Amino acid sequence: MVNVFGVNFHERKFVKKALESFYGLGPQTSARIMAKYTIHPLARIGAIPHKTATALTAELSTMTIEMDARRIVQDNIKRLRDMGTYRGRRHAMGLPVRGQKTRTQTETAKKLNTLERGGTSSRI
Amino acid sequence: MQPTRCLLKGRSVWKGPHIVPLPIVRVVPGERVRPIRTQARAATILPNFVGLKFQVYNGKVYNDVTITEDMVGHKLGEFSPYVGFLFLLLIPLRVD
Repeated sequence: MVNVFGVNFHERKFVKKALESFYGLGPQTSARIMAKYTIHPLARIGAIPHKTATALTAELSTMTIEMDARRIVQDNIKRLRDMGTYRGRRHAMGLPVRGQKTRTQTETAKKLNTLERGGTSSRI
Repeated sequence: MQPTRCLLKGRSVWKGPHIVPLPIVRVVPGERVRPIRTQARAATILPNFVGLKFQVYNGKVYNDVTITEDMVGHKLGEFSPYVGFLFLLLIPLRVD
């Protein structure tokens, strides 16, 4: 097990996958971080030296990820809600926000459109 | 119902925001200000609307809307819903 930013990853896990498992960190940023620390795109997390793993943790702690990133999204929704807008109300109701039909096919909206979008619990 | 995404989203910059001539009178101190009754739901809320009271038509009734600073850039109609009335009863509209 390798610990990066407070989360234990299996040694066979790709570094790319491990980085992208954090909320607010996508393919572009992960590729950039790996290029910065000269990690091969297909490297497993068990193959990187211990020093690099520590450096990755230090790098991630300076970024806006996990709860900070979630809070940005949730604050935006909360602002709409407190103003009393149509969009804020649709988020609270878990319905499509941008004028889509609601007779059928609102599964994605039901899943995603909440006031606590992205979840409130953190892995770290 | 289509919400406003952001100011001028999908609208040419040379046009500017959608400005509707509304009967806004200068506030005389000491005199009671009457809300501005309008059906122009598509009117963009401008910075000089802040603090004013509007009555925005939703097709049936005129809903009271007090403009705050956050609302600048949105449309008047966003604050006067015409759908989802039952849900509104269950969920309080404003925190304050």
